Amino acid sequence: MSTKDKVAIRQLPTGVPGLDEIVGGGLPEYSFNIIAGEPGSGKTTLAHQFVFANATPERPALYFTVLGESAIKMLRYQQQYTFFDTSKLPGSIRFINLSQVVLENDLGAVLEQITREVEKVNPGVVVVDSFRTIVRKPQSDMDLQSFIQRLALFLASWQATTFLIGEYAEDELRDNPIFTVADGLVWLRQTAERNSIVRKLQVIKLRGQNSVPGLHTFRITDAGVQAFSRTFGLVGHLKDPPSHRRLSFGVPELDKMLGGGVREGDSVLVAGSSGTGKSVLATQFIAEGIRRGEPGIVAVFEERPQAYAERATSLGLDLETPQKDGKLTILYLRPLDLSVDETMHSILDAVQKIGAKRLVIDSLAGFEMALSPGFRADFRESLYRMIFALTGIGVTILSTVEVDESFTEFPFSTYSISFLTDDIIRLRYVSIDGQLRKIMVVIKMRGGNHAKDIREYEITSKGVVILGKRLTEYQGLISGIPVHSDRPDSTEEPSLDTAIEHKA
Amino acid sequence: MKLHPKTRDLARRLLEYEAMAAESPEPMGSATLHVYERLRQSLGEFVGVAGFQSLATRALALARPDAPGLSAARVTADGSLQDLGEPEPQINDDKDQAGEYPGGPGGAILIARLLDLLLIFLGEALTLSLLRNACPGAAFDDGNSVNGRRT
Repeated sequence: MSTKDKVAIRQLPTGVPGLDEIVGGGLPEYSFNIIAGEPGSGKTTLAHQFVFANATPERPALYFTVLGESAIKMLRYQQQYTFFDTSKLPGSIRFINLSQVVLENDLGAVLEQITREVEKVNPGVVVVDSFRTIVRKPQSDMDLQSFIQRLALFLASWQATTFLIGEYAEDELRDNPIFTVADGLVWLRQTAERNSIVRKLQVIKLRGQNSVPGLHTFRITDAGVQAFSRTFGLVGHLKDPPSHRRLSFGVPELDKMLGGGVREGDSVLVAGSSGTGKSVLATQFIAEGIRRGEPGIVAVFEERPQAYAERATSLGLDLETPQKDGKLTILYLRPLDLSVDETMHSILDAVQKIGAKRLVIDSLAGFEMALSPGFRADFRESLYRMIFALTGIGVTILSTVEVDESFTEFPFSTYSISFLTDDIIRLRYVSIDGQLRKIMVVIKMRGGNHAKDIREYEITSKGVVILGKRLTEYQGLISGIPVHSDRPDSTEEPSLDTAIEHKA
Repeated sequence: MKLHPKTRDLARRLLEYEAMAAESPEPMGSATLHVYERLRQSLGEFVGVAGFQSLATRALALARPDAPGLSAARVTADGSLQDLGEPEPQINDDKDQAGEYPGGPGGAILIARLLDLLLIFLGEALTLSLLRNACPGAAFDDGNSVNGRRT
């Protein structure tokens, strides 16, 4: 059968930001869906968002309430959400209470009343909240199965997209006939992780289209449910063609050490202990980008945007003007129960808004602390997805990471994430001639030559300034406690590691 | 709890609307009963019988101190109103301006109390929306009305 012979299934917007992408573009029209989850997980709110997004006077929504939350209180609370449009009631959205018939009659009578109301109103959307309470009365499996089957058939025949809302436990998935009949099954979960609540949703089943598998975080805000796809909203985005362009750090000697600068689309890690100038270097990187017409995003977790900009000013770097001009966004992301997906959503919004080419994450430690404890366990995996997604759309990322200074080791990061980054620049203190001085070395540069030199630098009023030539008169610099050698200072240009293969 | 003048006005409009809808003069109190029935049917659909019954019972309890004539009135299990009784001539008109209501003072206060509860729980926009559905043609929120009807 050719594509043109196949029935086209119209997809209805869910009204939930982020959810359309997760379900594969929207919910299939006339589908029979279950929204399952524990009390307080957001089921009713999600259903309301769908209803408000799709109900019209011509094809209204019928919202059947049963024994759970009283309708009057449900409306009292739901109207606090920004999506709640009072003018849609009761013309486009009608609430009907089924409590009486459920309490006093059998399932046949319930079906009869639903049928009567549907035939009267000809709704485009039908919600039963909560369906669980309808079928809670003792009845035979066959009665229940027959009721569900007839209800599904009837509502599909009347061309209604249906949602049954219920508090189900996951172990019911296998035996409950409702899950067999349903075309779509969205499961909402919320778990307490130490002092934070982590909310995740899963599209367990959706007939007729590809949904994004796995658990996706979501949040309930004044705007209702907002979902954050694991694909970060980047489904369908083509990766920009590989660029060989080099991006300057704004520190000429460092650019030389990097073989001309950072490759566009790379992920760079600047690692060092406290006070070594990681943030200064990151600020120079972003400021240089803006100077060259490359908008940037700075995601800060440890200080407020104003303080960040003021510190840049003290280095002679103006971050205020580009913010006003829409060339720079400083994101302050500090709630303590963030998910990486939410952070990514904020960053991606900002990237798309200003067309950012450079992104600074300052710092990974702050980022991790901003996450809910439950998400910290998956930090590396989340970071991998985030870096992959962002570099995939051509953004060059510079992340700072604090490492414990050790005089016996030379760690690159505490997260074992060096494999996630293309380039690593290590900053550290060394004890030389009775002074605590600073050295810098490019550890790794995937797909490009870089200098092997260990260079001394200082943080001045102009930012990071690399001093003189490479340090040749000391042995064991990376230990932090070098030994003076008798060799004279080198006057050679920085040597590039030509042995490294170019793996573009 | 004192009734807001806006709620009184809303009740008055509803009762005027219902009084005008009656083709022949009816006994005092029947406009109240008609309005009450309209609300019971319309609100009962979405809050359920029990939901409406509990709201009406609360409204009656709140109305009684201002309308002694409601002492015999009761809300039945299905939410309908019984034994509304006759209007009380001793009602304090200055306090409640109840004499203006075509449905009689006690019943008018009951309707106003019921509307007040809706306004408290659902807010003005949603309450008016529901009332428009219950009483199509009635004017609730503009000055272009005569006897509670849209002009």
